[in-house]
Amino acid sequence: MKGILLARVREFIRNPFTFLLFTGMSIVFAWVISSMNVGGGGGGLPVPVYVEEEADSYQSSLEQQEAFQFYPVDKETLEAELREGEADTGVILYENRFDILVGVESPNAGLIQQTVQKVYTTDIQETLIGDAADAAGMEADQAVSAYKETLSDGTFDLTVNSFSGEESWKYDDNVHRIGGFALFFAIYTIAYGVVKILTEKRMGVWDRIILSPVKKSEMYIANLLYSFIEGYLQILIIFSVFYFWRGITFNDQMIEILLMLIPYALAIVAMSILITALVKNVEQFNAAISIITVSLAMIGGAFWPLEIVSNPVLLFLAKLNPIKYGLDIIQGAAVYGYSFTELLQPISILTLMAVLFTGIGIHLMEKRHI
Amino acid sequence: MLELVDISKRFKKIEAVKSLNMFIEQGEIVGLLGPNGAGKSTAISILSTLIEPTQGDVRFLKESVIKKPAPLRKAIGVVPQEIALYPQLSTEENLLFFGRIYRLKGSKLKQRVNEILELIGLTEKRKALVDSFSGGMKRRLNIGVAMLHNPQILIMDEPTVGIDPQSRSYILETVKRLNKEHQMTVVYTSHYMEEVDYLCDRIYIMDQGNLIASGTKEEIKQILSSENTISIQADRWNSKFIAQLKGHESITKVHVEGDEITLITPKEVNLFSEIISMTEEYGIALRSLHVKSPTLEDVFLHLTGRALRD
Repeated sequence: MKGILLARVREFIRNPFTFLLFTGMSIVFAWVISSMNVGGGGGGLPVPVYVEEEADSYQSSLEQQEAFQFYPVDKETLEAELREGEADTGVILYENRFDILVGVESPNAGLIQQTVQKVYTTDIQETLIGDAADAAGMEADQAVSAYKETLSDGTFDLTVNSFSGEESWKYDDNVHRIGGFALFFAIYTIAYGVVKILTEKRMGVWDRIILSPVKKSEMYIANLLYSFIEGYLQILIIFSVFYFWRGITFNDQMIEILLMLIPYALAIVAMSILITALVKNVEQFNAAISIITVSLAMIGGAFWPLEIVSNPVLLFLAKLNPIKYGLDIIQGAAVYGYSFTELLQPISILTLMAVLFTGIGIHLMEKRHI
Repeated sequence: MLELVDISKRFKKIEAVKSLNMFIEQGEIVGLLGPNGAGKSTAISILSTLIEPTQGDVRFLKESVIKKPAPLRKAIGVVPQEIALYPQLSTEENLLFFGRIYRLKGSKLKQRVNEILELIGLTEKRKALVDSFSGGMKRRLNIGVAMLHNPQILIMDEPTVGIDPQSRSYILETVKRLNKEHQMTVVYTSHYMEEVDYLCDRIYIMDQGNLIASGTKEEIKQILSSENTISIQADRWNSKFIAQLKGHESITKVHVEGDEITLITPKEVNLFSEIISMTEEYGIALRSLHVKSPTLEDVFLHLTGRALRD
């Protein structure tokens, strides 16, 4: 077994290009798409803001908005970004008013205007309440706090349900992109590792090993273990790159997430052996893995959050999909801060998939004399 | 030493091997000859315990090895028809890998690798990647790997397919040397009649899953003792001439290959003058006409009506 593993490692060192390609693609895709959506970090669409004197308080209120990421620039930069198409819309904040500058017509302009308007209205209202309280001989701060408290109580009771319980749905675009692409591209790396069993069988290497004192179980374990290590290493590299390079902390749970993703990598190894057992040759495998991987990624929520999907058939199919459970683990830990016990369900389902697919795959492979 | 007893193998609707009986004695080179699709590779796979027969038994030292293949597997080295090597590894790394799976270790493994490199003439290429090798060099390493654990019996499945004449000659000489100097038993399959003729003490001829002849070279060629093999050579042929040959009552087989026509005729019939007058009649410029010593190819032609490479 050690010999087979060593041979695979040597082959990897001689030809690491597939691994590097898929790892690089995961990083580039997650990075580029996240950058497109969130700018330099934080959340929301980036909007350049030029702040005139006396309007600093509005700027700090705007920076707390989640939907858009308002970032300060000087007036020339603002105009240049609009002119060169780097930003669709920009904002100039004055003491008592604001200007919305539109470079390219987009639905965001109206939303940005509403957001800025709301900040101005709120601030002006609070100032007016404070002034009125002063005039009435009351404490201005207390009056404003009482006003905010009343606002937060709301006029109606509102109950929000989400997939994970009573909480509202939370979403971190960075975490989702990194997780989605890491899980998606890991399938290719693992699958192309597992298919070497088929290649070696065709080449006669497998027969040579069968005739040696090495047991068949050792042959399977060595090959599957190697594919697992390769795929898992890829996931580890991708998460580490974003952790150390882009400063994405995954809610300080990166190690826990990586450990909980072990069943995901095992499930993908098992799925690959099942596909290998069902095809007749490497060409068929290549065609099958391309179709299956992209379908799994789309249905499992690797490219977009499953919360926006309403079709019951697609949601049912997602429940059979390892990517969904992998993403549940990542989002659960990094966004909701769930512990291992709370994520036991996706972990168990992935483990079950790993056991089931491996059993069926190896049985079929032996039965069909592939 | 090693026997196939009434072996049959069926793959779904195809019966690849039909009631094959075969024995191999220690120290001999046994040839398994037949065209592509004759069932040679299936027979070899059964002989080396890689596939189980549908019917029959495989015996090694009189013990059945179908359910307990370990003793036979230890005693054989198999050279598959495919290049069963890791192309991304070097010659030495391939030998070390396959040596390790045979539980060879340390200095013993290194010594054995050096011996094999010497034997297959690849010592100077020990660090070169297999991917960069010519077909002949790959074939030589393919043989070397099968020799690592010093097997008693070497089973070779078409080891010279698709290589240059020099490499082929090197491989044939190596097999001969292994047999003479190390008393190694060799089972050699090929569809090249001249290879089997050159190497083997005894021959089994297969066609379409059936064993059609077996024995020493002389015994097999005796099949044609009552017949003559006549070779006619000319620049080009006339279809009417060939049709007349095929319709001739004294000619049992006619085989046309390029500029040569081979005829099998009864020994007591002399057709020379008749053939010459026929060539004159059809305007064929005759280059040569002679009686050949029978070859294995002629025996195969006689038995099946087809050439080995058809």
